Amino acid sequence: MSTTSSFHDHVIAILPKLRVQALALTRNRAGAEDLVQDAVCNALSAQDSFIPGTNFAAWMHRILRNRFISNLRKRRDTTDIDDVPSSVFATDAPHEDRLALKELAKAMVRLPSDQREALVMVVIHGMSYEALAEATGCAVGTAKSRVFRARRQLESWLLDERPAQAAPQAKVAASDATSARSDSTRLGSMPLS
Amino acid sequence: MKHFTMTRRKESRLSEVPPQGPAPVSRTEGAFDLWLQRELHRLFDGVAREPIPPELLRLIEQDREEHAAAPETPPKRDGAG
Repeated sequence: MSTTSSFHDHVIAILPKLRVQALALTRNRAGAEDLVQDAVCNALSAQDSFIPGTNFAAWMHRILRNRFISNLRKRRDTTDIDDVPSSVFATDAPHEDRLALKELAKAMVRLPSDQREALVMVVIHGMSYEALAEATGCAVGTAKSRVFRARRQLESWLLDERPAQAAPQAKVAASDATSARSDSTRLGSMPLS
Repeated sequence: MKHFTMTRRKESRLSEVPPQGPAPVSRTEGAFDLWLQRELHRLFDGVAREPIPPELLRLIEQDREEHAAAPETPPKRDGAG
């Protein structure tokens, strides 16, 4: 198999993981598809810079992440809670489970994008912290910290016994000091029950 | 909200030692981590299983054909992103 055909096969094989990463970053299905396509275009344009035998997945994930950051710098990124993946509501899980999923989805939207991305890539992709660090261009300690903070924040939001704060127009900003971009979300008026 | 089972399970990587120092993992934390992992899979696994858009595959295949037809160039240093 030639180097050229192997590269394109690698791109095709990693597309499902890129879609998950893109959705974790954008919280928006249409935006995620656009981001994946943009990242693939960037990768195809830069394929001569990829050294065969090195970590293709990390290289590809970094391209997508950098494209996301670049897009954020160009525009103010907002998303509506209604853009939560429709599969949440398409599940045949019991009603109570769907409510829990909806709460989790809303909480995920509130997380800073780097924490959300880190948590998703560790849980869904099964990445090690070292692989996550390489894929997102940060130190291993930073990768661990992002996952830990995401988990702790979700636990705080989801298990807090106090009445939920009603903030249908709340916006949250990214807290990652290592990334020079803003991240905002607009919570919709979707009822919890 | 208690949508997860409070049973003793193997410690989850999500709640392992934080950067600042060791922290004991309670049964609540372990149960929450297991619930969180399961529910995140419910949210995202479907996306990974969806078919790839045909236009995206065409884009990749078209590039493959163009590179196959072009003369090979030596790889440069890794410049991702």
